Amino acid sequence: MSSFLKIILQNLIKGPSTEKYPFGDTFEPAGLRGKLRFNAEACIACGTCEHVCAGGAIRITEAEDCSGLNMVIWHNSCCYCGLCQFFCPTKAIRHTIDYHTAHKQEDKFNYAERGFIKTVPCSRCGKQIVPAAQELLEQAGNSSDEIKDLLSMCEKCRQKETVIRGALRNV
Amino acid sequence: MSSYKIPIGPIHVVLEEPIYFQLEMEGETVRGVDIRSGHVHRGIEFLAMQKNIYQNITLVERVCSLCSNNHPFTYCMAMERIGRIKIPERAEFLRVIADEIKRIASHLFNTAILAHIIGFDSLFMLVMELREKIQDVKESTYGNRMNIAANCIGGVRYDISSEQAGFILNSLQAMKKPLEEITKIYLHNGSVRRRIEGIGVLTKDKAVEYGVVGPVARGSGIAYDVRADCPYAAYNQLSFDVITENTGDIKARAVVRIREIVESISLVEQCLKALPEGPTCLDYMPMIPGGQAIAKSEAPRGELMYYARTNGSDIPERLKWRVPTYPNWEALKIMLAGCKLADVPVIIGSIDPCVSCTER
Repeated sequence: MSSFLKIILQNLIKGPSTEKYPFGDTFEPAGLRGKLRFNAEACIACGTCEHVCAGGAIRITEAEDCSGLNMVIWHNSCCYCGLCQFFCPTKAIRHTIDYHTAHKQEDKFNYAERGFIKTVPCSRCGKQIVPAAQELLEQAGNSSDEIKDLLSMCEKCRQKETVIRGALRNV
Repeated sequence: MSSYKIPIGPIHVVLEEPIYFQLEMEGETVRGVDIRSGHVHRGIEFLAMQKNIYQNITLVERVCSLCSNNHPFTYCMAMERIGRIKIPERAEFLRVIADEIKRIASHLFNTAILAHIIGFDSLFMLVMELREKIQDVKESTYGNRMNIAANCIGGVRYDISSEQAGFILNSLQAMKKPLEEITKIYLHNGSVRRRIEGIGVLTKDKAVEYGVVGPVARGSGIAYDVRADCPYAAYNQLSFDVITENTGDIKARAVVRIREIVESISLVEQCLKALPEGPTCLDYMPMIPGGQAIAKSEAPRGELMYYARTNGSDIPERLKWRVPTYPNWEALKIMLAGCKLADVPVIIGSIDPCVSCTER
């Protein structure tokens, strides 16, 4: 028992080991997986995050006027597993270190991170397409003017154009 | 002497999770025990067959909070076995680090809970304070205190920079001295010894008969550890001892856990020293072909086994796991027989039961 009295005495001198949160600072490491943040500029609407989300917290739907895609991430369905961030090719979806999720009961279904991915018309046929994000192009390396021109087209026009250009090159 | 029946659980102050014990008593002595479970059955095995292989990484991590790394770890190993995926060497070491850090936290938790059950709450606080160090390591390295989300099919989802490695090593170093102090208390303090010495004995023969695993088996003198007997990840490149005790009582199981923490600290240190350079995961999203596989690993509570069957689509056809508590809680019938009523909670706590794993 005497051995434990020594420990009690040491702890009395050391003072409390709990943190004074919310009246003081607490341990918030840089790698904390907190609330998700979405960057619509970097999103290429590949849908991987929606596919891997176990909680069904992410939904991408087309806007009614066809001008783009709506992205919703419900914080209350999110289980902070980080799979969406891990698989996102452009890191458009990221965890912040903000873990404060208190909100009013009436907001519980609207407590979400939202974004709007704007689509642009194909430079040839005018069909609405999701533009390639700068982050994606950076991963692909140097992009020439030819590639940039091809990126402004929809999939079908791009295929057609590539075949025509290839054929012309062989002539 | 009069005989009567007494219920413990499903909601009881000393049980961490709901499970129901019906004890047949004769005076103060337990004569028989009937275990009834099913209070936390959530249908996770069925749910796993509705979700795709990526979603299941997150789902199986939430089967249980204390072995929450071993579930996705073993699941990913099973999937990699079906897909014949070779994971990068750095990932093998990072997986061991994640696993051992979780083991340290889990063993410290059970050590603390043991003190709480015997009513020694100052010791409980002391051990939990020490555990806070490893919780901070988890939070800063993985981003969460419990569900560390370290694994993915084909590797790991995190990397350790030299700065982080330094932080982990410092934290582990700072744990060594308090751990020695705690070991001394569990070995020599009279108040603790009176409650744990010679109580809840599981002899070696009975341990073999009941097929117990993990610290319960090792406390009864069976040197069975999946990490040593059937090495996975990077365990074959690391050196560690399989801790065993021969008395088979509560104290033996507690001492096995405390000494395993020391081994785990050494394993993390070895890994950080030998950590090879290179990628930490595949650079593509793996597709798993049709097939079936079994994978097993040593969870903090013992051997965890996963069976997976796929059919080429990304939704598994069957996922089944056998968790360590399943054989261990059957052995409670031996440990509890003949003990005093007041010792029942301590004995139950000493097998470190994980009810949510077992019932899933």
